[in-house]
Amino acid sequence: MAGAVSALFLLDIKGRVLVWRDYRGDVSAVQAERFFTKLIEKEGDPESQDPVVYDNGVTYMFIQHNNVFLMTASRQNCNAASILLFLHRVVDVFKHYFEELEEESLRDNFVVVYELLDEIMDFGYPQYTEAKILSEFIKTDAYRMEVTQRPPMAVTNAVSWRSEGIRYKKNEVFLDVVESVNILVNSNGQIIRSDVVGALKMRTYLSPKGKVN
Amino acid sequence: MAPPNLSQRAPSPSPSQPSGKSEISDLKMQLRQLAGSRALGTDDSKRDLFKKVISYMTIGIDVSSLFSEMVMCSATSDIVLKKMCYLYVGNYAKGNPDLALLTINFLQKDCRDEDPMIRGLALRSLCSLRVANLVEYLVGPLGLGLKDGNAYVRTVAAMGVLKLYHISASACIDAEFPSMLKRLMLNDPDPQVVANCLSSLQDIWSLEASTSEEAAREREALLSKPIVYHILNRIKDFNEWAQCLILDLASNYIPSESDEIFDIMNLLEDRLQHANGAVVLATIKVFLHLTLSMTDVHQQVYERIKAPLLTLVSAGSPEQSYAVLSHLHLLVMRAPMLFSSDYKHFYCQYSEPSYVKKLKLEMLTAIANESNTYEIVTELCEYAANVDVSIARESIRAVGKIALQQYDVNAIVDRLLQFLEMEKDYVTAETLVLVKDLLRKYPQWSHDCIAVVGNISSKNVQEPKAKSALIWMLGEYSQDMADAPYILENLIENWDDEHSSEVRLHLLTAVMKCFFKRPPETHKALGAALAAGLADSHQDVHDRALFYYRLLQYDTSTADRVVNPPKQAVSVFADTQSSEIKDRIFDEFNSLSVIYQKPSYMFIDKEHRGPGDLSEELGNLSVGSEPVDNTLPTQRYEANDNDLLLSTSEKEESRVQASDSSAYSAPEYDSSSLSLVSTGIQSEAPLSVPGLPAYNPQASTDIDDLLGLGLSITPAPPPLKLHPKAVLDPGTFQRKWGQLGISLSQEFSMEPRGVAALTTPQALLRHMQGQSVQCIASGGQPPNFKFFFFAQKADEPSSFFLVECLINSSSAKVQVKIKADDGGASDAFWTLFKSALSKFGLP
Repeated sequence: MAGAVSALFLLDIKGRVLVWRDYRGDVSAVQAERFFTKLIEKEGDPESQDPVVYDNGVTYMFIQHNNVFLMTASRQNCNAASILLFLHRVVDVFKHYFEELEEESLRDNFVVVYELLDEIMDFGYPQYTEAKILSEFIKTDAYRMEVTQRPPMAVTNAVSWRSEGIRYKKNEVFLDVVESVNILVNSNGQIIRSDVVGALKMRTYLSPKGKVN
Repeated sequence: MAPPNLSQRAPSPSPSQPSGKSEISDLKMQLRQLAGSRALGTDDSKRDLFKKVISYMTIGIDVSSLFSEMVMCSATSDIVLKKMCYLYVGNYAKGNPDLALLTINFLQKDCRDEDPMIRGLALRSLCSLRVANLVEYLVGPLGLGLKDGNAYVRTVAAMGVLKLYHISASACIDAEFPSMLKRLMLNDPDPQVVANCLSSLQDIWSLEASTSEEAAREREALLSKPIVYHILNRIKDFNEWAQCLILDLASNYIPSESDEIFDIMNLLEDRLQHANGAVVLATIKVFLHLTLSMTDVHQQVYERIKAPLLTLVSAGSPEQSYAVLSHLHLLVMRAPMLFSSDYKHFYCQYSEPSYVKKLKLEMLTAIANESNTYEIVTELCEYAANVDVSIARESIRAVGKIALQQYDVNAIVDRLLQFLEMEKDYVTAETLVLVKDLLRKYPQWSHDCIAVVGNISSKNVQEPKAKSALIWMLGEYSQDMADAPYILENLIENWDDEHSSEVRLHLLTAVMKCFFKRPPETHKALGAALAAGLADSHQDVHDRALFYYRLLQYDTSTADRVVNPPKQAVSVFADTQSSEIKDRIFDEFNSLSVIYQKPSYMFIDKEHRGPGDLSEELGNLSVGSEPVDNTLPTQRYEANDNDLLLSTSEKEESRVQASDSSAYSAPEYDSSSLSLVSTGIQSEAPLSVPGLPAYNPQASTDIDDLLGLGLSITPAPPPLKLHPKAVLDPGTFQRKWGQLGISLSQEFSMEPRGVAALTTPQALLRHMQGQSVQCIASGGQPPNFKFFFFAQKADEPSSFFLVECLINSSSAKVQVKIKADDGGASDAFWTLFKSALSKFGLP
């Protein structure tokens, strides 16, 4: 079983806790300070540190974004790859809400941050990290209050990223191919290594939901 | 969707802002005023106030005094207000159980609200209060939540059951929530509900399994074919995190026939292309674990997963690359051959963080073989000039390691020697240590190396490890280095300035060696060194100086043989990790174990371990050959066994050192070989080093023998007979198991028909009884079985053999640890035990 995360911390650049959400009640806010001392203990700047730090039975996994550290603490043997990826998804979600994730935007939005933290994870297990789905749960904007009476779409829908009942006049699909070429040349001009990393980005305006073959 | 613009409403408090009491009492007043008001716009003003309260709470100002006002204000249909109120309550309830009681009422009411969002949120908050005396109020709403018409509420309720279990396990079990979860998991149309049910059930059953037979069965049932297939068939409906969960479940599933393996792999094939790296890794785990018993297919799986893994490494964030690379690292270490043509993927890029580079360097080292060494070493030599000193050091070490692995080291030695010409302190330091190791393995290269090393001024070498290496070479090759005695003399003159005791120890030994090779030139230096050593405040240095002094007094030719024995080259440097540990890390693929390169029992506190860990399996052991309801002894075994595991690994390490030092007395091991020998005498325990003749306690304590120079051979023991009706009570077994050291640890593969017959532990027990080997405890479910056996010598009733035997029926691997009162007979016993075990399953 993939282990669960005990708590998620958002720290400022000096390691002070901005916001944290305690999911399982087996770590405390003091832990965050210990994590940071541990991080500073090792020489060098924090950016070159392993993203996984161990201290006294607790594993800390963190990423840095601008001047904010996103960090999870866990006492279980959790799935490292998925948690680190999850933290990046959390950044994406925050960016969706605040344009940019940094200390100031967090301080301005404590309530939304709490709401988000509440929905992206439950009892240490990741739940929903698609910003579109989350916008169904997060209703802090008063204006959108009137449309909230229908149940969140994820619960009625197998395709997690799409609301029900969307209709377009014109059925279109846009497909972007973004490729980047990496090349490594040594001092003699020989190509040591070359590769292409590509991504397909699709924007669909198709009315009936369903699979596209 | 535009981001909600809240900045003008929520104050952005800086630490210097209000913390005074007046501010809070002000808030209290305003909240009171609003509590009763039904005027239009009340909700908006309430929101502002609530936000203020939450902000204060977040920056650490205690606003718990507002509790009753907050609760009063929560009588509203505004969901935002509700959320903030739940948040507030959740934060302060744990510290103030009395206040929490206040909130129960309104939370319970909200659990019956007509808005599903409010029902869900209220239920989640209710379950998150974590106050033990409020458990009774949880059961009702949870039961309703599980049956709620709205999936959001059911998702929350499924997780709520687990929360309840962690507050009060009995309340959760008594309300029969687990069986409700199971029904929900198999029937609910909503994938997230199913996923949460699965997480909860896994957690609950594996925690319960240590105390209840039924729970253990239920845990197994989660891995049964119908359930696994049911969920796997729906995998595409689930979101990415839930897919990881399901894949993890599938990786523990044991198919009954090989067709199933291929069906599952075909079904999950496309998961390898998933955009989420965690899903890809989880799929890889399934593939690897399913095919463990099929060598050919397993190899093909490696080929198949290579491309997705390498893509993940180069595509994601550095953190993700790190996580993926750690797994790749594990695979590379298991099968370096398969990755040898992909070496270019492991070249470091300038922009990568050093933790990624470090892993890549290790992999480059592992996959170097005859065909790619030249390219790899050329690349590594570039890194040696890296600005990042730690990476430069690592790359030099990598070059050295490759040199130690290869047959043709000619070119590499040249490169290493070129490093010495770079005249950077850290480069020189690392290189010296490597050259020393190289010389231990390839003495034939001494001529070239010595020529270069001789030119290094000892003043430029400051790091203790490097200095020790240099001194060792000076001593060892003093006959070839013209200046050796004078350099040593110089170093001895500065004895008091040398802070590292390690260096001083090496200096003593080196000057001794040099003395026997070039006595007239070294005579004076030796005297000075011994005098300085005897006056040294460090105990080891003092003792060694005294030892040399007396040795010289006793007989110089003996001293010569002790200090300068003929040495064989080291063929393989000791691997520090046992294969058992490596296998266990592999079993825990896709978890922190891989990152730490340690099995989870080494870094996870016992109460937080997941299922599949050894402690869990041991929890299921039943004492005696039939299940007995007395569970106490088994738990004691568990605690005992974990200690044993740790001590074993330590012991293995020291044993490795022992074997190394007796093969070749090298700098680091000098002191340890002496101390090991002395403990050997005291305990009279045979120092059995695999591959080397056992140290015979009866042999004379001649110093030559102690250093492993004269090899004594143990006489062949008389044939071993076992008592057919051996008796040993569990208490004594446990005591003995704790006292005795492991005298033998073996691994072998079982016959296929033996594995086939091993459907329950009991089958093997009866068989072994027939072979005069009794079982004292056994347990586990397919594929992992664990047994504790014992046997008694027929002619010597006080002499017992104790055995821990782990059998994995899917890989047919058997791991045996034997402890014996008479350690000398354990080899004979092992032969008996192995033949007994291999007869199992024969008609």
